[in-house]
Amino acid sequence: MKQFIFLLTLFFCQQIAIAQTRISGKVTLTNGQQVAGANISIANTYDGNSTDTLGHFSFVTSEQGRQLLKFSAIGHKPDSLWIDLKGKTLSLQLKLKEMVNDLNQVTISAGTLETGDYKKGAVLSSLDIATTAGAVADIVAALQTLPGTAQAFGENGLFVRGGSGAETQTYFDGMIVKSPFGSQLPDIASRTRFSTFLFKGTTFSSGGYSAQYGQALSAALLMETKDMPEKSSTELSLLSVGLSATKTIKLKKSALILGGNYYNLQPVYSIVKQNIIWNKAPIDAQANIQYKLQPTKNGIFKVFGQFNRTQAALTTGPEQMAVTNNNNNYFFNSTYQDYLNNDWKVQAGISYSRSNEIGGIQENDYSRFDELTQGRFSINRYLNGRSLIRTGAEVYFSSREDRYNTLSRNFDNHMQAAFTEGEFYIGDNLVARAGARLEHSSYLADWNIAPRLSLGLKAGKRGQVSLAYGTFYQNPDDAYMIQSKDLAYEKADHYLLNYQFLNEGITFRAEAYYKQYSSLTKYDFAGYAGNYGVNNYNNLDNSGSGYSKGIDLFFRDKKTIPAGDYWISYSFVDSKRDFRNYPALATPPFAARHTLNVVYKQYIPYLKSEIGTTYSFSSGRTFYNPNKTQFLSDKTKSFHNLSLNVSYLTSVFKQFAVLYASATNLPGFKNIYGYNYSADGSSRQAITPASKRNFFVGLIITIGDNTFNR
Amino acid sequence: MKTIKFLAIVLLFSIKGFSQNSEKLKLALQKGLIMIDSAKGEQDFQNAANYFERIAAAEQKQWLPAYYTAFSGLHSALVGKQSMEIKDAVYDKALTFIEKADALSPDNSEVYALKGYIVFMKMSLAPQARAMTMIPKATGIISKSIALNPENPRAQLMLGQTTFYTPEAFGGGKLKAKPLLEAAKEKFDKETSTGLNPSWGKSRCLALLQQSN
Repeated sequence: MKQFIFLLTLFFCQQIAIAQTRISGKVTLTNGQQVAGANISIANTYDGNSTDTLGHFSFVTSEQGRQLLKFSAIGHKPDSLWIDLKGKTLSLQLKLKEMVNDLNQVTISAGTLETGDYKKGAVLSSLDIATTAGAVADIVAALQTLPGTAQAFGENGLFVRGGSGAETQTYFDGMIVKSPFGSQLPDIASRTRFSTFLFKGTTFSSGGYSAQYGQALSAALLMETKDMPEKSSTELSLLSVGLSATKTIKLKKSALILGGNYYNLQPVYSIVKQNIIWNKAPIDAQANIQYKLQPTKNGIFKVFGQFNRTQAALTTGPEQMAVTNNNNNYFFNSTYQDYLNNDWKVQAGISYSRSNEIGGIQENDYSRFDELTQGRFSINRYLNGRSLIRTGAEVYFSSREDRYNTLSRNFDNHMQAAFTEGEFYIGDNLVARAGARLEHSSYLADWNIAPRLSLGLKAGKRGQVSLAYGTFYQNPDDAYMIQSKDLAYEKADHYLLNYQFLNEGITFRAEAYYKQYSSLTKYDFAGYAGNYGVNNYNNLDNSGSGYSKGIDLFFRDKKTIPAGDYWISYSFVDSKRDFRNYPALATPPFAARHTLNVVYKQYIPYLKSEIGTTYSFSSGRTFYNPNKTQFLSDKTKSFHNLSLNVSYLTSVFKQFAVLYASATNLPGFKNIYGYNYSADGSSRQAITPASKRNFFVGLIITIGDNTFNR
Repeated sequence: MKTIKFLAIVLLFSIKGFSQNSEKLKLALQKGLIMIDSAKGEQDFQNAANYFERIAAAEQKQWLPAYYTAFSGLHSALVGKQSMEIKDAVYDKALTFIEKADALSPDNSEVYALKGYIVFMKMSLAPQARAMTMIPKATGIISKSIALNPENPRAQLMLGQTTFYTPEAFGGGKLKAKPLLEAAKEKFDKETSTGLNPSWGKSRCLALLQQSN
């Protein structure tokens, strides 16, 4: 009996012993490198273990039969394999592949610089824009320190790679903005209408952009507003130019933001010596309202409305013209985006803008009325991995009216557009984007179809090469279309080649481009047409052409200097065009050959301050001299600018505050943008900045909240 | 008779699934908590995180395994010397698991306290770029944790800790943190044994208090 029990016990013990299997082995990458801290487990059980520093693991399991063995490690793609547990020791060699994430994902970088707080590899965050010396928190001014852009020199707009300001189109949450800048005063560039702090990110595309964007020959500036704010707050700004306030009310799933400002430059202009005679220093009043709603987990509905009124009067030019300008601008924009499920994303938007400008030049009155209504709808369908197909359609209704004394003229244009594009990620190292855009204009009675193609290829662990090709169409300027219906689309073909290197705080970019322009608008006009007021152009047609080629270099280092950040940006542009009233191919004034920007910022913790400085250089600009036979053969001297800004963190009445001061052109370089000749060409007046130096001081207080909240 | 009893007992032992599932989970969690208590470096915490992750994968309805996976992951990056990119990935993984815990145990003060901790640490990897958005986010989560259970010592500790590490210029600093940490210490002293539920933080609290003197 005892013997029987003993045998029986032995038998059961053996059963228990048979039920245990030892699994051991090593986890490595595909190149043989060991992986420490990897997790090996048997699905639906607790059994498993981690690898040691040499990649080895070992554990015992009492599971039997066919089981799924899972293994994974942070930064790597999880994997699994089926094993058979029969009680015999198993020895496994497991291989892991690196996981592709935002940082090492190959992207199409040709022609695109992303800025913003959330994009990895982003070039400028919203704080960068606010602290770039010389920009005074204006997005476009800050973008002028990036490669591919030129100084504004008294003309509104963002001038990219030899293209005029009109060739850059601005988008607000995917909707075109008809007038993103304040009024154009003679030879004085205005700021953008929108505060930097509305946006979570900006993508500045200097060429080769997606089929989603049209009506831009040179560049697309894509601004995306912030999503839901984190909490309620009130912000008050006391500035040398006026007052500004913003109130954010955060509710459970929505938020309401009210903002306004009133700027009057009279006090500043009475202190800082001006180069022009202001009859009425600029006044700028603005009110805006935003509503944001998060109806579903990934959906967001936004509404933005803004009213902006500006007034100014000055005396300018060699003939001492008295100019007045009053502008009322209304802008409404609403967008909705949501994911229907993991595979589908929808985006819809409507926008309405209206601009009414009334002014006078000497004894003449003029006015300009602009209206744009647009609707947009697009769908993204996500495929395997990160690949996707997107398609969408847009409609635009625009109206424009010019008046000059008793004369008036106007035109309406209805446009429709559609686009389709696919982005295909082939493996981890290659991405290809191909698409086409179709547009139709009722006024021009013309269609266009534009192909777009780009490629991104990984080059080493941290680098990538990117190519882009595209055709870009744009309506001729409104000032030309209002005079002639017989015009056609202007066209540009882009060819880009880009190399980019990103590594923890170091960014390097080099991009070479060639742009071929055709079908540019030409007209007859005596002299050189200014960009202010109302002009008459004769014999308008699209016989113009041109080219622009060059190279942009960008280097940024956020790592080497502790709490310091600097970047150097250099652009070389060789551009000639025969457009407007040019008698032959010539380099236009806005295509300066060399542009250099050096930006440096330093945060000093024990002083609770951030200081920044920017040095800008631009080689001479061509200018029109009626006394010369060769058109635009004269050049101004080079342009230099050194700006400084300081931010000091403090508290006012126990509320968190930032004291901000900035000065542009501190050394007082005497810069000349060009010359205005008298009608007979015998005398000329240099076009200079409105004032040699510019100073700005501001105190920004956040009330009711002691965390830094912008 | 004795034989039959003996055989019956042996048979019972050899039948699989003898132990109750909850007993198995309880034992496993206890073992894991010991791993955490004795963890000394990045590797030990990673092993603990992997251990809890295996349990979490097998127990899809339990919040504690997901919670402790997040907790161990957080600490492996806290004490480790990995590069910023890898730490970011570790914090992101910890966030995934604390969000799983949140889904399994909504409106749980402990979950919010740990989540606030992870968000704050993620912010600290790139303060210049992230402070403005992530500090308010972290303080919002911690406020919710306190609101859900004002007596939770860990919620109070998080408030004190984030204030301690926020620069004075931004409304933080040691002076402001001291009373908050003292309030946390009081709550720790009052806390009675919680079994398998989170009970960490007292030594951290005392260490920070010492530094703020």
